[in-house]
Amino acid sequence: MKNPPFNYHRPATLTEALDLLAAHGDDAKVLAGGQSLLPVMALRLGRPDHVVDIAAIDELKHIATASGALSLGAMVRHAQAETSPMVAEHAPVVAAALPHVGHRAIRNRGTVVGSIAHADAAAEMPAVCLTLGATLHLASATGTREIAAADFFLGFFTTAALPEELVTSVTFPPWSATSGGAVVEISRRHGDYAMCGLACAIDVADGVIESAALSFFGVASTPIRVAEAEAIVVGQRPSPALFAQAAEVVADVLSPDSDIHATANHRRQIAAVLTRRGLAQSADQIGIPV
Amino acid sequence: MTPGYETGPTSDRQTSGLGFVGQRVKRVEDERFLIGKGNFVADLTPDGVHHAAFLRSPFAHARILSIDVTAAAALPGVTRVFTAAELNALTNPIPPFFMADGVYTPLYSCMSEDKVRHMGDPVALVLAESRYVAEDALELIEVDYEDLQPTATIDQGLDTSREQLWELADGNVLADTSFEFGDVDKTFADADRIITRTFECPRQTNQPMETRGCIVLVDPDSGHLELHNTSQAPHFLKWAIAALLVNDGAVRNLSTFLRNKERRKAFSSASKEFLKTNIDKLKSSDPAGQKAQLSKDKSMLRHQARMAMGLLAAEDYPTVKAGDIGGAFGSKGSVAREDIAVAAAAKATGLSVKWIEDRVENLLDGGQAREERFTVSMAVDEDGTFRGLKVDAVLDQGAYPAFPISGVATLLFWKVYMPGPYDFGAFQLNGKIVATNKGKVVPYRGPWANETFMRERMIDVVAAELGMDPGELRAKNVLREETMPAALLTGPTLDETMSVAKTLDHALSLIDNDQLARDKAAARERGHRLGLGIASYHEAAPGPPNFFESIQPGSDMFLYEDGRAEIQADGRIVMYTSQSPHGQSHQTTYKQVAADEFGVSMDDVEIVWGDTDRTQFSFLGTGGSRGGPLGAGVMRVTARELRRQVAAVAADMIEASPDDIEIVDGNIHVAGVPSRGIGYRAVAAKVARETGIADGPVFAESMKYEGVGNGGWSTATHVAWVDIDLETGMVEIPRYLVVEDCGPIINPGIVDGQVRGGVAQGIGAVFYERHHYDDDANLQSGTYMDYLIPTSMEIPDIEIEHLETLTAGENDARGVGEGGMIGAPAALTNAVSDALGVQVLEQYLPPHRLLELAGVIER
Amino acid sequence: MNLPSIRAAIGETISVTTTINGASRRFDVEPRRSLADVIRDEAGLTGTHLGCEHGVCGACTVLLDGEPVRSCLMLAVQADGTEITTIEGLANADGSLHPIQQGMYDAMSFQCAFCSPGFLMSAVALLRDNPNPSTNEIREELSGNLCRCTGYQSIVEGVETAVRIMGAQQ
Ligand SMILES: Cc1cc2nc3c(=O)[nH]c(=O)nc-3n(C[C@H](O)[C@H](O)[C@H](O)COP(=O)(O)OP(=O)(O)OC[C@H]3O[C@@H](n4cnc5c(N)ncnc54)[C@H](O)[C@@H]3O)c2cc1C
Ligand code: FES
Ligand code: FES
Repeated sequence: MKNPPFNYHRPATLTEALDLLAAHGDDAKVLAGGQSLLPVMALRLGRPDHVVDIAAIDELKHIATASGALSLGAMVRHAQAETSPMVAEHAPVVAAALPHVGHRAIRNRGTVVGSIAHADAAAEMPAVCLTLGATLHLASATGTREIAAADFFLGFFTTAALPEELVTSVTFPPWSATSGGAVVEISRRHGDYAMCGLACAIDVADGVIESAALSFFGVASTPIRVAEAEAIVVGQRPSPALFAQAAEVVADVLSPDSDIHATANHRRQIAAVLTRRGLAQSADQIGIPV
Repeated sequence: MTPGYETGPTSDRQTSGLGFVGQRVKRVEDERFLIGKGNFVADLTPDGVHHAAFLRSPFAHARILSIDVTAAAALPGVTRVFTAAELNALTNPIPPFFMADGVYTPLYSCMSEDKVRHMGDPVALVLAESRYVAEDALELIEVDYEDLQPTATIDQGLDTSREQLWELADGNVLADTSFEFGDVDKTFADADRIITRTFECPRQTNQPMETRGCIVLVDPDSGHLELHNTSQAPHFLKWAIAALLVNDGAVRNLSTFLRNKERRKAFSSASKEFLKTNIDKLKSSDPAGQKAQLSKDKSMLRHQARMAMGLLAAEDYPTVKAGDIGGAFGSKGSVAREDIAVAAAAKATGLSVKWIEDRVENLLDGGQAREERFTVSMAVDEDGTFRGLKVDAVLDQGAYPAFPISGVATLLFWKVYMPGPYDFGAFQLNGKIVATNKGKVVPYRGPWANETFMRERMIDVVAAELGMDPGELRAKNVLREETMPAALLTGPTLDETMSVAKTLDHALSLIDNDQLARDKAAARERGHRLGLGIASYHEAAPGPPNFFESIQPGSDMFLYEDGRAEIQADGRIVMYTSQSPHGQSHQTTYKQVAADEFGVSMDDVEIVWGDTDRTQFSFLGTGGSRGGPLGAGVMRVTARELRRQVAAVAADMIEASPDDIEIVDGNIHVAGVPSRGIGYRAVAAKVARETGIADGPVFAESMKYEGVGNGGWSTATHVAWVDIDLETGMVEIPRYLVVEDCGPIINPGIVDGQVRGGVAQGIGAVFYERHHYDDDANLQSGTYMDYLIPTSMEIPDIEIEHLETLTAGENDARGVGEGGMIGAPAALTNAVSDALGVQVLEQYLPPHRLLELAGVIER
Repeated sequence: MNLPSIRAAIGETISVTTTINGASRRFDVEPRRSLADVIRDEAGLTGTHLGCEHGVCGACTVLLDGEPVRSCLMLAVQADGTEITTIEGLANADGSLHPIQQGMYDAMSFQCAFCSPGFLMSAVALLRDNPNPSTNEIREELSGNLCRCTGYQSIVEGVETAVRIMGAQQ
C-alpha cells in the first residue's frame, strides 16, 4: 500500500494552480487535505500523473462572511470550521455536521471543500450543501463560474467540476433566527460514514413551517432532497404527527441500495426515523419543542 | 509516588517478602513500548535489504494461462522477479500435519502457478530497492487468467457438482468424520423430546494491529539464513523453513542419512532430543489419519523423507528470531506461504529480503476463521434433564489448509468439547470440512469456540421450548463437584478445577432479576428492547494429562513446555522460554515467577524468548492459553531447581545447612541472620573461579513441564445485557459480567486485560465484524472501512469476578487467553434472543438483521 | 504562510525540512513517500507504527504543529516547515515520563502495544485541550484509534490516571 509515483506541484498562487490544471487536465488531481485522495492512491485505485497540492495558496484559506453569507475557502480544514465561531453563528448546520466527519485526526487534515469536491455519496458535507442551498465557486485558467449545490452532484464521486477546474470556495446563504436545522445519522461504528444520514433545515414563521429542506446521504449516488416530504411539512405547524407523516413519505420515496453494512429496507427505515428526529431537533432549535 | 494518586508495585520497587506473584505488578514491556522503543519486525531495516511485494490474484478461482514478468524485471530499482513456478521449484510442497480418519489434506506450494484458488493467492514475487518500487513492478506483470467457477459458500462447498479446488478430493469436501460417545440411538429413543436447530457463524478474521512480516538475512559466507519474523511459534517456523527449502535435488532418504556420518553428527540436537523424548508417543499415534491421507494422495511420501527432522542437517536450519509482536490471536502461528517464498528468494539470490504484509494483504489472506454451520439435536426430558447431543457440523476452511493447524484440529477439539460442562449421556459429532475459494482459515482465539456458541444458544432454545429459565436449566445440568464423574463423556479426566458450576452459581447470584424486569420495562418505554444472556464453558488450559490423548492419540507430545534457567558468572539470572509472546506480557509474569523463586527483585532476572539459537526447541510457541500454566510453570520449576543448587553452594560458603537457607532481596543467608548473607554474585564468582568459567553460565538447568494434578481446566460464565433500539437496530451493552476461574492469578492486571480483550473480540464478532465474500467469492470487506473492528465507543466496561479455585499443584495457574472470546458470542446472542423474544440462529447480528428479527423491517 | 512554488518530476526528490521532537531535520524525499515512512525509515523513529496505511487504525498518529494527524495519510512533502511530535518526543529530557505515559503505565493500558503510539498522541492532544474530560469524552476522542487487544477499558483508565497525575502536578 504505497503511493504510485507522480509529478508533484505545490503552487504558491491560485493562478499557478489553475495553469497547472489547464496544462494537465485529466492527468492531474488536486490535493487538498488528502484524507480521501491518499488512501485511494495507496490502494492504487487512482494513479494521477500530476498532483497539485493547493495547501500553500493563501487565497484559499479564508473563513469569511459577506452580507450574512458564510464563505469557506478550499483550504479550510474540517477542524478549523468545526471550531470557528463564525461558522457556528452563520452556518450552524455545517457546524453540526462536522463532528460526524470521521475522527479528529482526519478532520485536522481534511477540508470542507475537499469533501464536497470528492462527492462521496455517504458524506455529510454534500448533503449539507444541498439543504442549505450552498453555492460552489469554481475557477479555471479561463475564468470562474458558480454552481448551485443542486446542480453540482452528478453521481458517485462525480461532480459538475471539470478536470481543469478548482473549487475555490463554498458559500452558504445567510442563516436566519427563524431557521432551525440538524444533521443526524446512523453509522455502524462511531465516526464511520453513515449507513444513512439527514441534513435538514426548516424556516418557521408564526409557528408555521415556511420552508423545509431534507437532504439524505448514503441512500443514493448523490445526496438527495425529498421534495415530497418537504411539501408535507410546509405550511403546517411542527408536530410529532406531521413529522411522522413526512417520515412515511421519505420511506416510500427513497430507493436505496443494499450493501454489506445495511439493507435497502434498513436504510429506508433509518431514513424515516431520522426524518422524525431531524425535524424535531430543528424545531427544537427555534424554541418549538416537539 | 506523586501525591494525590495511587500507584501499585512496579518492577523497580522491591516487594520481596510479599512476593510478586499475585500482585498487580506493572508491565516491564511498557518500559520500552511507552517511549516508542519496541522491537517490531517492521522496525528493522538492515543495510542493503531488498523489499518484497507479492502479486496476488484478483480472481477467486482461475487457471493461469501465462505470466509475463519482463517489463517488471526491467523496471529500474527492481532486483529480481520470481514467478510462482520459479519459487515452487526451489521449495517443497506444504505437507499435511494434523491427519485424521476421513480427512484429506491437499498439499500445496508456497506460490500458485497453475491456478489460483482465492482472491489474494500469490502468483509472483518482486524484490526491489523499496516497497514503493516493488509495488510499481507488480503493476507491470501480466497474467492471463481463465475464469473457473468459484465456490463461495458452505452450501456450494457441499455441492459435488461444482468445479473442484482440489483434483483429488471428493468434490470440495475434504473431511467427513464421525465420532460417537455413549449409546446415541438409545438415548435419543428414550428421551422425552428431541429439539433440533441449525446455527450459523459467518467468516471472521483475527486482525492483529500488526500485520505479518518477515526479514530474511543471508550470511554471505555460509549462506545461513536468519529470519526475523512475527511468528507465534519460532521453532516450528525454523523446522518448516528447513524442511520446505531443502529441495536441492539431493536424495534425502533414510539410507543416505545413515550412510552419511557427517550428517548424522550434525543432526540438530534439539530436534533429536524432541524425537527421543517422544518416540513412544510418535509410535502410539493413530495411523488411520495417515491411511486416509494416502488413500487420496501419496505424494506426501515423496516429500516426507526430505522433511523428516532427522534427515535435515544442522546447516539446513535457519535461525529464527521473533522480537516484539503486535498481536496475533492465532494468525501468526501458521507458517505463511509468504515466509517460505521470501526465504527461498533470499536463499536463491543471496540477498537479504524484507516483507511486511500490508493491511489489504492481511485482510485477503492473513488468517480467517469461524465460518461454520451446526445442526444440533438435543435429547431432553420434560423436567429439563439433558440426555443426548447430536451435531452435524461443517467448517468452511477456505482455499488452503493452514500449516500446521488446519480445520482438522478444530473438528478434533469439537469432538471433545461440544457437550461442554454438562452431564450428557451420549454424544455424536458428524464433522465435515469444505474447501471454498476464500482466504485460509487459521486458529483464532479459541479456534473451537463455536461449540460454545452453538451449545449455549441451543440450551436457551431448549429452555424456551420447555418453558424453563435458561439459568436454572444450566444450573440443573452442569457438572457439579459433588456428583462429578471421573471423566468427561468424551474422555478427559475431571477434578475440582472443572468449576463451571461455581462460576454459574456466582454469576446467577449477581443478576438482580427484579432490577432486570424494571430495566426491561423502561427500555420498552423508550422503544428499545433489553435482554440478558448467559453462557458457560470450560477450556482445557492446559487440560488434564489425557486431554490431548482424547483429542488424538499421540498428540500429547505437544503438551509439555521446555525452559532453562542460568546464573551467569557475573551473578545475573537468565531465564529462557520457548514461548513467543505477542501481547500477553510474558516478560512481566515470568519475571514475577522467577524473582519469587530466587528471592530477588524482578530487575535481577532477564527473560530470553523468541530466538531459536538461545531457547529450547518447541513445536508450539505461544497459543492455546498455555503461557500461564505451562510457560510460567516451567519457569517456576526450573528456577526452583537452580535456587536449590545455589543454596547448596552458598550454604557451604557461609557454613550452614542448605535447609536453613533463606533468600530475601537477593541476600542468601541463614533464616533469621540476614547480616551474614552473601549475594548471587558472590556464589557465582566462587563457582566461576573453581570451574574456570569467566563468561557464561555457572549454574544451568533445563527442564520440561507438563502441568500437574489431574485437572487444569479454566472455566467461566459470561452474562451480557444487551439493549436494542428498535427504530434503528443500534445496540448498547449496558452491562457485561464475566465470572471466571483460571486458578491462582499471577498478575490480575494482565489477566483482566486478557479477559476484556477476548470479550471485545466477541462483541465484534456478533455486532460488527463479518468478513464478507459475495456469491462469486470476491472479498467485500477488503479494507478497514468495511471490516469493522469495534472502537472505544462500542466496547463497554467489563466487570470481572475471579474465583481462583486452588488445587494441590505446584504451578496451578490456568490459561485465560482465549476464554473471553469463547464465551462472549454465546452470551450476546442469548441476550439478543431474550430481548427480541426470538431464537437467534446466527452469530452475526448487524443492525439490519436485528430489525429483521424484531419484525421491524422485512428481509 | 505562503510557501514558494515547488515541483518535482517522477523520480526526483524534494528537500523537506521539519522539526521532529524538537530537532530540525532535512530529508530529500520522493514526493510520493508518506510522512509515516519518512518518520520511520529516514528519521529512524520507529515508535510510530503502521497498522493499515489507509487512515482507519490510528497507529500512525503523530502531532503536526500540535494537532493529531494520520502520518500514513500525509505525504512527507506536505510536512515541510512543520513541527512534528512522535511518541519518542513525549518523555522529558531527563527520561521521566510524560503524564500520559505514566498514566498508561500505571493503568497497564496496553498488551501488544502496537496501537500505543496512536493512543498516546491522541490522548496528549485531548488532555491539552480538555484537561478534565469525562469518560465519555475520552472514549469518543479515542474512538479514532483501534486496539485489538485490550477492549479499551484499560486505555481509558490510563487517560483518567494521567488526568489525576496532571492534576496532582499542578
Ligand atoms: C478513516 C476516515 C474516515 C472518514 N470518515 C468520513 C466521514 O464520516 N464523513 C465524511 O464526509 N468524510 C469522511 N472521511 C473523508 C474526509 O472527510 C476527507 O477529508 C474528505 O472526503 C476529502 O477532503 P480532503 O480535503 O481530504 O480531500 P482530498 O483527499 O485532498 O481530495 C479528495 C478528492 O477531491 C478532489 N479535490 C479536493 N479539493 C478540491 C478542490 N478544491 N477542487 C477540486 N477538486 C478537489 C481531489 O482531487 C480528490 O479527488 C473519512 C476519511 C478517513 C480516512
Ligand atoms: S496506519 Fe495510519 S491510520 Fe492506520
Ligand atoms: S495493545 Fe495490541 S493493539 Fe492495542
